[in-house]
Amino acid sequence: MSDNRHRTAKWSVVQRAALAPSAVLALSLILIWALTGAGYFWPMWAMLGIAIPTGIWFSLRWARMQREPTSRRYAAHAGVSAVLALAGVAIWVMSGRGYFWPVWPMLGLAGLLALHRAILRPGQRSLEVRVDELTRTRSGALNEQASQLRRIERDLHDGAQARLVALSMQLGRAEERLADRPETAALIRRAREEATAAIAELRDLARGIAPPVLADRGLKAAVESLANRSAASVEVRGDLDHRPPPVVETAAYFVVAESLTNVVKHAPGATARVTVTQDGAMLVVEVVDNGPGGADPAGSGLTGLKQRVEALDGRLEVHSVPGDGTVVWAVLPCE
Amino acid sequence: MALLAENGIEVVAQAADGPGLLRVVDGHKPDLAICDVRLPPSFTDEGIRAALEARRRHPELAVLVLSQYVEPVYTGELLASGESGVGYLLKERISEVRTFVESVKRVAAGGTALDREVVSALIADRDRSGADAELGALTARERETLELIAQGRTNAAIARELVVTLGAVEKHVSNIFAKLNLPAGDDDHRRVLAVLTYLRATGA
Repeated sequence: MSDNRHRTAKWSVVQRAALAPSAVLALSLILIWALTGAGYFWPMWAMLGIAIPTGIWFSLRWARMQREPTSRRYAAHAGVSAVLALAGVAIWVMSGRGYFWPVWPMLGLAGLLALHRAILRPGQRSLEVRVDELTRTRSGALNEQASQLRRIERDLHDGAQARLVALSMQLGRAEERLADRPETAALIRRAREEATAAIAELRDLARGIAPPVLADRGLKAAVESLANRSAASVEVRGDLDHRPPPVVETAAYFVVAESLTNVVKHAPGATARVTVTQDGAMLVVEVVDNGPGGADPAGSGLTGLKQRVEALDGRLEVHSVPGDGTVVWAVLPCE
Repeated sequence: MALLAENGIEVVAQAADGPGLLRVVDGHKPDLAICDVRLPPSFTDEGIRAALEARRRHPELAVLVLSQYVEPVYTGELLASGESGVGYLLKERISEVRTFVESVKRVAAGGTALDREVVSALIADRDRSGADAELGALTARERETLELIAQGRTNAAIARELVVTLGAVEKHVSNIFAKLNLPAGDDDHRRVLAVLTYLRATGA
C-alpha cells in the first residue's frame, strides 16, 4: 500500500519534470513561427519529433510499474507500439491524408505484439510453478494443523483429563469415608460432580477435533462406527491400502458424518451406502441414499463440506434429483 | 487399586501394557481383568485389542474396559466377544465408588456393565429415526428402567436407583419386554443383550 503511494508520488514528479521543457520548447517554436509570418505550420513536425520520444519515455515508465518482469516487458512493447501507431496516424494527417498507409505499420506492430504475447507463455509457466509451490505449502500447513490438533487431543487425554479422573477418584473415596458427616460429604460430592462435568466437556472438545476411533483405527473403522450409530440403515463398502494423511482422513470423515446426518434428517427410512476407495493418489468417498432426493447443494452443511474439501484441492459434488435419491461424492488428493 | 482393595476386591497382579496384560491373565487366571482402552506404547486402542485377545484365550474371563470416551465400535466388539462378563465404563465412573464397585462385582460374576453414555447414545440414535412407535409407547419410568437394564443393572439395583419397590421394577420390566416384543428371560446378561440388540436394530 505505502509502496504504491510512493510510486504514484514519484510518478507525478517525473511527469512534471519531463513535460515542462517539452511545453516550453513547443511554445517557443510556435512563437518563432508566428513572428516569421505564420506560413506553413512547420512547428508541428518538430512537435511530433518531441512527442514521439516523450511518449516512448512515458510508456516505458508506465511499463516499469508492472509487477512481473514478463508483464513489464510486454507492457513496454505494447506502450511503444501504441506510440508508434499514433505517430503514424499523426504523420498521415499532417502530410495531407490521402491513402491510409499507416494501416500497414500498424498491422506489423500488432503482429509483433501478438508474437510477443505468444512467447509470453514461459511467464505463464512461472505462474504455474508458483501455483504448485503455493499448493504444496498450503497442504503442508493444513497437514501440520491437523497433526497439531491430534497432538492437542492426545495431550488433553494424557494430561488434563487423566488428572481430572484421578481427582474425581480421590474425591469419590473421600466421600465414601465421610458417610458419618453428611454435610461435608455433600460438599465433596459437589466437587466430584464439577470434576466429572469438566471431564465431559474435555471429552466433547476432543471429539469435535476428530473422533478417537479415526485416530486409532483409521477412516474405514471410523466410517463403520458412524454407520453403526446412524439411525438409518447404512452399508459400508471399500477398502484402503494405506492411511491417507490426517487432514484428508478427517475431511473425508466429516463428509460421511454430515451426509449420514442429512440422510437421517431429510430422508427418514432411507437406506444409505458409503463407499470409501483409493484411486491412485486419490481418496474417493461416496454416500448414496435412496431417499426422496432434492437436496439443496447450497445448504450450509454441504457448503461447509465443499469448502473443507476444496481447501485440500479436492472436489465435492452433490447430485440430488427429486425422487431419485441423493449422491454426495468427494475426491481428495492424498499427497 | 487401593479403591478396589478397600472394597473387598483382591488385586492379584498389575500390568503396564497390552502384552503384559495377556501374560498376567495367562499366569494368574483371574476372575476379572480391568484395562484402559489406551495403553502404551502407541496409546490408541491396544487395551481393547488386548482384552479381546485375553477373552479369546480364556472365554470365561470377565473383562472391564475403562475409557475416557464412548465408542460404539469398541463396546460392540466387547459384547460380541463372549457370552458373559463384560463392561465398558467411562473412567470418571470410578469416582462414584459404590456404583463402580457394584459394576466390578457384577461383571466379575458374569454380568454386564455398560456406561450410561453408551446406552443413552444408542437410545437417542434409535429415537432420532422417529419411526419408532414401540419406543415411543414406553412411559417415562419405563424408559428409565430400559436404560438401566441396558446398562446391565439387576432389578434390585434398578429398584434402589429409582427408589421404588422390587415389585414395581419387575412390573416395568415385563411391560417393557411386552411393548418391545422381546422374549422375557431370567438371565440378566441375556436380558441386556436382548435390549441392546433391539436398540441397535434400525427402524427401517
